[in-house]
Amino acid sequence: MPPELDSIEVLQPVVDAMPIRAAPVPEPGFEVQLPAFSGPLAVLLQLIESRQLDVLTVPLAELADAYVAHLADNPVDPAQLAEFVAVAAQLILLKSRSMLPGEALPISHDEADEPDEVELRRRLVEYRALRDAALALGERDLVAPMHRREPRESDLPVASVTPLPVGLLVEALHALAAIPEPEPAPPEIVAREITIAMQITVLRTALAAGGRVILQQLLASCRSRTEATVTLLATLELVRRRQVRVRQRELFGPIVIEMAP
Amino acid sequence: MTAADDLGAFLEALLFIAERPLTGAELAELAGVSRPEAEAALSKLADDLAEDRRGLRLQRMDDAWQLATAPEVGERLAAYAAREEARLTPAALEALAVVAYRQPCTRGEVERVRGVDSDYVLRSLLHRRLVVEMGRRDTPGRPILYGTTFAFLERFGLTSLDELPPMEVDTPPTLPAAQEQEPVDAG
Repeated sequence: MPPELDSIEVLQPVVDAMPIRAAPVPEPGFEVQLPAFSGPLAVLLQLIESRQLDVLTVPLAELADAYVAHLADNPVDPAQLAEFVAVAAQLILLKSRSMLPGEALPISHDEADEPDEVELRRRLVEYRALRDAALALGERDLVAPMHRREPRESDLPVASVTPLPVGLLVEALHALAAIPEPEPAPPEIVAREITIAMQITVLRTALAAGGRVILQQLLASCRSRTEATVTLLATLELVRRRQVRVRQRELFGPIVIEMAP
Repeated sequence: MTAADDLGAFLEALLFIAERPLTGAELAELAGVSRPEAEAALSKLADDLAEDRRGLRLQRMDDAWQLATAPEVGERLAAYAAREEARLTPAALEALAVVAYRQPCTRGEVERVRGVDSDYVLRSLLHRRLVVEMGRRDTPGRPILYGTTFAFLERFGLTSLDELPPMEVDTPPTLPAAQEQEPVDAG
């Protein structure tokens, strides 16, 4: 069959099956079930393997129809649609090239050019190695875990053992009360004037130059309890992300915040 | 007891009471020996523990060492040490495999190999502490570099990254079948 005669007809089903039309083109015999979050390479590899073809030698252009049909039948997360469509476009390009007569060498080997079949195959082979490694890893997941010693109570830093004077508690309470709370009654809808994200930015900026921030001074500069609370939460969030380190050399001493090393 | 035996016993005891992994430098300093001496004693300790099928193994991650229970008894210890943990999803395993084999590597590298957005899955690995930030690469955008942790080794029963099975990538033939077709005369 001279391909030039009906190349348009051959391409037509491919175009019809594109997900924009959402016209399913069922292909009997090849039911491919894939877990969610599988990427386009996973789909393509599964199509090759379900046909018992060799990824190293199969002409990828021949998979264009099956891939597009799979895409039409299996809804893809819209956020990842671009990646799937990009591979579809590549396959259709390969297919159209393979059908055009007399244009055997439009394939550029310029690396800046769009990926050709060699490149797509290289990615597939690389992905297959990764997938197999991930499967092997999965077989070991929690099968024979190793356990480290849990920190004992005695591993935790010890605070002072001497009883604290009650006055300290009173002082702390006074200090807390000293943070002024604006008086006007809250409106029905409370605007979020200050957020943890905002305070994180402020803290990061202050710490960026290798500076240090004293937590007590930071809180003392807050204009409301809400701001103080949000600032404290922002600090804790940065500690949780291990982006800052917090040290206190002595009980009730200054709490120094600095960038984690 | 020879001096080497004594050093091995001391390091074993030190790692037993340590509440965190210790570096080669710390161990050498605490033992009062040179780094190479400490390294040699640690390697021998690791071998002895494995060969004698003891209940503990020595785990190594870069320059840090810790004692952990042997993988063979891990499952039976679950009754005591059990933490409710779900198996990782295929997507998480894929991302974890890229990081484990290519570390330190960036999110971009994970996404390039997987061919799919991996932001969420990488964050879930960070949250589980299987993967950790290891600084930034000195390229435009200074992307964050990721590597695996002791928690990763523990979960998969590995004493070091050397125990990961090798990942082999077949090389496709340089001339795929599609390009070996007879050239068609133009015109």
